[in-house]
Amino acid sequence: MITFAVLAVVLVIGALGVVLLRQPVHAALSLVGTLLTLAVVFVTLEAHFLAAIQVIVYGGAIMVLFLFVIMLLNLQEEATKTRAAYRWIAYVVGVVAAAAIATGALLDPRQAPDALAVSDALRGGSPELIAQVLFGEFMLAFQLVGVLLLTAMVGAVALVQRQAETPGAR
Amino acid sequence: MDPLWVTFVKALLLCLVLLGAFAYMTLIERRLLGRMQHRHGPNRLGPLGLLQPIADALKSVFKEDITVSAADRFVYVLAPMISITFALAAFGAIPGGPAGSLFGWNPWIMDLDIGLLYVLAVTSIGVYGIFLGGWASNSKYPLLGSLRSSAQIISYELGLGLSVLSVIMIAGTLNLRAIVEINVWSVSPWLWPPLIVAFGAFVISAIAEVNRTPFDLPEAEQEIVAGYLTEYSSIKWALYQMAEYVNMMTAAAFISTLFLGGYKGPTFLEPWIPGISDWPIIWLVAKMAIFMFLFIWLRATLPRLRYDQLMRFGWVYLFEIALGAALLTGAVIAFVL
Repeated sequence: MITFAVLAVVLVIGALGVVLLRQPVHAALSLVGTLLTLAVVFVTLEAHFLAAIQVIVYGGAIMVLFLFVIMLLNLQEEATKTRAAYRWIAYVVGVVAAAAIATGALLDPRQAPDALAVSDALRGGSPELIAQVLFGEFMLAFQLVGVLLLTAMVGAVALVQRQAETPGAR
Repeated sequence: MDPLWVTFVKALLLCLVLLGAFAYMTLIERRLLGRMQHRHGPNRLGPLGLLQPIADALKSVFKEDITVSAADRFVYVLAPMISITFALAAFGAIPGGPAGSLFGWNPWIMDLDIGLLYVLAVTSIGVYGIFLGGWASNSKYPLLGSLRSSAQIISYELGLGLSVLSVIMIAGTLNLRAIVEINVWSVSPWLWPPLIVAFGAFVISAIAEVNRTPFDLPEAEQEIVAGYLTEYSSIKWALYQMAEYVNMMTAAAFISTLFLGGYKGPTFLEPWIPGISDWPIIWLVAKMAIFMFLFIWLRATLPRLRYDQLMRFGWVYLFEIALGAALLTGAVIAFVL
């Protein structure tokens, strides 16, 4: 419980850093820290496979690409261009939404499953269990997501290629 | 399971051994390169130059520790620490011998069910060290070096992951110790062709992952000074060097564990010395030494790839070859066995 409390504090600080830090690279780094802490939370729940995948996919691949783009475009600290009124509206909406979520969570009659039950259900976090759910119960959804990602990729390539395909464009 | 203090002592020892090995790998590398290039290499300090690493260590500690004034201070200091921390942490999951063979203790730090993924995950975080170091220096060439390294590592991680897939499919487990015990080559001769291809693809991707020649574009000195290392000096520079060599050693141990029976020795010696193939550590170190020699040998032999060649090789050839090996392994398991 103490471990979770410490991790939760680190997670929240990291998440706040993503939003509040002005320098894009610092914000991205804060996100990396948050994702790695989330992996540690998975480890404390004995979900080892999930933790490893979290680090490999989010920490190792997606965030490296994020940072790559940030550095390639050489993004600098963003001058606040938004109008003051908008900012106040954004603050109010944000605070109200956060309060609503917190109240909803606190008023929910369902008990959070305790860590023992969770680690029991995960059975040591073996990949087999996740594979059974993913490739059995949710097979159709899994394949549809695959098609969706493929569509997005083909679309992105098509957008980039359009220029080069017209004769004489090079 | 070992008691916690034993694990702690083992982890400490492993770090010390890896760093000591790093110091002497630099000497071995320079001596071997000298031999391959018909010159002497460092041979003045002590017999065979054996005191050279100590002199180098003292020198790099006492050099002025420069921090570029335009640098992003925090990230600049953090980056080399990320590099060395994750480089050392990755080795912890690699088993060094059968259970209880190290004076009654287990010759590994962690015996994880997902040991293979652990090594991949931790090494993939290590790239942040190079990447952030180059950015935080706030200078042209380091930035180019770090952009190169991130593009390169993402490209070659695909080949790495796909060539590991053959081993995972054959062994049916992600536990490195179980993979060694199963011995992927003994399952069926039908699996040898895809395994040989996967082994080759894995070695090539691993060399690219540890940024060694011919894939050392992030620090190509003829083009971009020293890449991400340009603005680093003294102990921070030394930390990067340590990380590079420790990563090489991890790669060598990882290749040996996945494809070459890891900590197991040759069984044909058993009639003369019973139990020799179960001796801990030495067989793994012997196999690692072969790959360390290969890395140095390649450095002395091959010229560096051009950037577009590097990308084409990774995406057009290595990726397809590794994918083909994985598909072939799957087909053999499904239809032949």
